[in-house]
Amino acid sequence: MTGAAPLLQAEGIVGGYASAEQVVKGVALSAAAGELVSVIGPNGAGKSTALKLVAGLLRPSAGRVRLGGEDVAGRSPQAIARAGLGFVPQERNIFGALSVAENLEMGCLFERGAMRARAAEAYARFPMLVEKRRAAARSLSGGQRQVLAVAMALMARPRALLLDEPTAGLSPRAASELFALVRGIADAGIAVLMVEQNALESLAVSDRAYVLVDGRNHLDGPAAAVADDPDIRRLFLGGRTHPAPAAAPVPFQQPGGFP
Amino acid sequence: MPEDVLQGWLQALLNGVVSGSLLALPALGFSAIFAVLRFPNFAVGALATAGAYAAWVVNARLGLPVGAGVAAAFLVAALVGVLLEAAALERLGRGGALMKAIGSLAMAMVLENALRFAFGNDLQAFDLPLARDMLLGPVRIGPQQINNFLVAIAVMAALWAFLALTPLGRSMRAVADNPDLARLKGVNPRRIALITVAAGAGLCGVGGTLIGLDTAIDPLLGGRVLLSVFAAAVLGGLGSIPGAVAGAFVIGIAEEFTVLALSPSYRMAVGFVVILAVLTVRPAGLLGSRAA
Repeated sequence: MTGAAPLLQAEGIVGGYASAEQVVKGVALSAAAGELVSVIGPNGAGKSTALKLVAGLLRPSAGRVRLGGEDVAGRSPQAIARAGLGFVPQERNIFGALSVAENLEMGCLFERGAMRARAAEAYARFPMLVEKRRAAARSLSGGQRQVLAVAMALMARPRALLLDEPTAGLSPRAASELFALVRGIADAGIAVLMVEQNALESLAVSDRAYVLVDGRNHLDGPAAAVADDPDIRRLFLGGRTHPAPAAAPVPFQQPGGFP
Repeated sequence: MPEDVLQGWLQALLNGVVSGSLLALPALGFSAIFAVLRFPNFAVGALATAGAYAAWVVNARLGLPVGAGVAAAFLVAALVGVLLEAAALERLGRGGALMKAIGSLAMAMVLENALRFAFGNDLQAFDLPLARDMLLGPVRIGPQQINNFLVAIAVMAALWAFLALTPLGRSMRAVADNPDLARLKGVNPRRIALITVAAGAGLCGVGGTLIGLDTAIDPLLGGRVLLSVFAAAVLGGLGSIPGAVAGAFVIGIAEEFTVLALSPSYRMAVGFVVILAVLTVRPAGLLGSRAA
């Protein structure tokens, strides 16, 4: 997955929340079309903040974000979404009071004409959503909610997709299914950048990985190499040598924001 | 149980249902504005008064039918509501919800006194044909009450259809549910906010007109029901659309029974007692999802 400039490329991004010190102190992230890239690191490393800076939910105080050669840093989240970047936040990533069908429709506001066709595609791809289409989204299980959130993001046909801890709070089985889904999205040609706490499992499906520590790039490389780096294993992965689906790591953070 | 007591109860129940249906419209407007803009807009009473005067001008001065007056009430109240929001309240937004709430009280006073200046303090009546009350078994009801009730129900049904079946209504519910995600998906929050204010204020205008048709119009018409409207919305759960309707019927019926059991001077107390009880026992209200 090397060659021309990657589809999504963030360089030297700095930023954080108002009236606090910068959480992200200079981070570079990239993902090529069709590439699945994990972003891992300890709690407080600035992983989620870095995604928000790329998506425009927070305004970077320095750095560039290029999407398909276009510099989108500093634009509004809507403008960046319109330019082809999908973002699935960790929490509150669905409209709980709306039906599943309406959630999908909300994902397609930029191209209302294509709404029906894309919803049909989403139902074909995620049959679970069909039987729930009239149900309020808040009635879905944790795993179903994540699938809906991803399906909603795909309704806009993004060129690049950012996922913030998509498996947080999911059962090991649901997490594995979601990782397989994300792998499939990348294989369909979308550039995927995924922040994950389930580091081992995430690396197992990824092409490349970044390790962030204290708001800066610590290490990056092919996912397999990162997974085998002894320092990384000891620091972040608890020293285990192989992914163990039967005893997948318990996520550090539980989603708490769902209504 | 003596027959006349039962008859009194049935009459109070009927009156309560009718007055609840009238309260429901401004309560819906108040709750919708709260759901999307996240502040209590206390100008809803004055907006109801403004709508009632617009309807009165169309009906009594221009000689057009009451139906045209109701439409004018919606449009004028919607316009005034949007003007208040865009000219004053929106600018207070950075100060937080409390600042906007206080600003809305100030706007209510300005609007009420502007109406007083324009139309005077006297009671004004709509140009309605005289009609005899009808007897429904043991209770009596006026044809105007029936009309008002039916108009209120029709407006509620129209609001439901708008929210449930149109893309704009869906976007309004999305913003109320999850404003950050809605913004991310491309919803323009200011556009949705102003449309919500227009619809909510319009509902207040129609509600004020129906109250005026039931009795008469004066500059304090909306201010008198503001407490009941607020209590209905709090009882139902601030921001909950079905809650506002349920709360309005409960308040309307409770007020009528209070008049029956105690005295008309205690009518005002119902709103306070209900607000106090809800905040003590169940702050989220009957059907609310978030804490008030």
